Amino acid sequence: MFRTTLLTLAMTVLLPTVAFADPTAEELLKKYDSVMGPENFSATILMTAHRDDGTTRAYKMSMLKKGDDKFRATFAEPAAVRGQEMLRQGDNLWVYMPNLKRAVRLANRDSFQGGDFNNADVLRVNYQADYSAKVIADSGRADAWLIELHAKTKEAAYDMIKLWMRKSDSQPVKGEYYTASGKMLRAAEFSDFKPFSGLVRPGKISMKNMLATQRYSTMTWDAMDSKVNPPSGKFVLDDLGR
Amino acid sequence: MFSLLQIAIRNVMRNKRRTAITLAALLVGVSVMVSIRGALNGLQRSLVQNVVSGQTGAIQVHRAGFLKNVLSSPLSLDMPQDADFEKKLLSVPHVKAVSPRILFAGMINVADQTIFLGVQAIDPIREFQVVPLRQATMGDKGLMESGKVLDAMVVTEQLQGALQGSKVPKDAPAAILAPDKDGALSGENVTLTGVMKLNMPGEKKVGMVHIGVAQRLLKMEGRATEYIVAVDEIENIPQVAAELRKALGKEYEVSTWEDIATFVKQAMQRQSMILSLVAGVFMILMLLGVANTMLMSVLDRTREIGTMMAVGVRRSKILGLFLMEAATIGAMGGIVGGAVGSVIVLALNARGISVTFPGSNVPFTIHPYVSASYLISIVALAGMGALLFAIYPAWRASRLRPVEALAGG
Repeated sequence: MFRTTLLTLAMTVLLPTVAFADPTAEELLKKYDSVMGPENFSATILMTAHRDDGTTRAYKMSMLKKGDDKFRATFAEPAAVRGQEMLRQGDNLWVYMPNLKRAVRLANRDSFQGGDFNNADVLRVNYQADYSAKVIADSGRADAWLIELHAKTKEAAYDMIKLWMRKSDSQPVKGEYYTASGKMLRAAEFSDFKPFSGLVRPGKISMKNMLATQRYSTMTWDAMDSKVNPPSGKFVLDDLGR
Repeated sequence: MFSLLQIAIRNVMRNKRRTAITLAALLVGVSVMVSIRGALNGLQRSLVQNVVSGQTGAIQVHRAGFLKNVLSSPLSLDMPQDADFEKKLLSVPHVKAVSPRILFAGMINVADQTIFLGVQAIDPIREFQVVPLRQATMGDKGLMESGKVLDAMVVTEQLQGALQGSKVPKDAPAAILAPDKDGALSGENVTLTGVMKLNMPGEKKVGMVHIGVAQRLLKMEGRATEYIVAVDEIENIPQVAAELRKALGKEYEVSTWEDIATFVKQAMQRQSMILSLVAGVFMILMLLGVANTMLMSVLDRTREIGTMMAVGVRRSKILGLFLMEAATIGAMGGIVGGAVGSVIVLALNARGISVTFPGSNVPFTIHPYVSASYLISIVALAGMGALLFAIYPAWRASRLRPVEALAGG
């Protein structure tokens, strides 16, 4: 009797751990991509850049994504950048300048509108394609897993990323972004988790610049719909500026 | 004392071959030292001139903190670009001309290629008043045409090379992209109108535009990030800098070319140190030669010294005589060597030596020169050194025992 009780007790304690084994790095990466860059979506996003001198600049944009590697962002505010568009197609990235009436090629690792995100942070969210990942046993915090990402291609936004994802629902909570030499460039915090037309994801990312520590930028999602299916014709150079 | 000098001179003249060899050593040593110093003087003056009138200008004025933050966001540390501000700068005595600049980092796009570059936005007409040597590094076509500002950019050969090799045609359409003073991405169409030579080591991918184009691109109408101040004479730079500091107050920082081109200053100090070392070694070798001949002379003239002692010449006089002989040779060698060195330096000065610095493609001519004070000091050094190195042989001579010396040592 006693023995049976003990066995039952042991089973109740042990069973959950057996049933919910730790996710693999690949599973976590897939989860990250599915919330941060679902296959198709349209969104309106507000970026606020906090500068060294204490002033802020706000940028309002709408964004479209189709498939793995097609992004288009259109800026609405401030007036200085109204009508600017950015287009990503595979490894190519262009910015369309209304006053030049043409698109100009940009680098992935360039700063996105002078803020603390880089272009690839915003327009190249496909970690499964860009990075190989491994789980680090000691994440430094009890509520989150830590995975370490190493770039597979030189087009990736960073050479190395440390990403913390919380154990409760595998949502990303914190990221650190490094150069090949191990210098930390930026650090992100993910917050305001809420559903966007059914998809629960962070509503806000705060990106701190580790090189100029007075600077940081936040990106807030006003709306996001991952059930849209934008036409392919939206993702060609000729369509920019229309 | 005077008779001792006469005897010394007579003795020096007596053994012509030995004197000639010693003099030759001194002559070569001193003339080489003078020539090297002259060449280095010329090189360093050219270097300073090249920096002052080809790159940094004599003095630069920035907003306080600009140089420290030059890598992060220098556009927010700007200053007015207007007549009032310029009047303030020009009112300082010895200021010859002023010219505004905006320095910023951006990208240049040609065809389907975009690369990073450093941009210097200048006012071409006034730029050449403050850094006249720059005119030589610019191509035939520039940033203005018959008084009108062109939407144009002149790029370094290195930048042109990076832009698809030499395939970039002249007058190629291009666009400059840069974050404006608020950080928003901004772009302007330009035409690549010319190629300039890089005139100093440092950032190689550089483009130059008219300041008006940059002000439009960066949304900085009527603003600049630095003023270059030209001063009438290089010697007046520190004084003008001090007065500008007083006139502009704490809000601005005033830097001389030495503060900005610190590497030039350091290189010059290093060169001078190495020269002193080389000159020192030369001098010692030369003087060892003098000591050697003096010692030979003492050994040769043992009998003579004995005779002098026998007729009552004091040991101190013997010591003095040999020292005097050495000093005479030293002075003669120094003077002749200095004269030969000066002739070489003068000849090179008239001819000029063409030099190209590593990392720069602009050859420039150096004109060696030496100062009178350097010549005097080197002649004095040769004489004093010869005297110093003759102490031991002269002491040996004065210590001889008359009897043994008479017997031939």
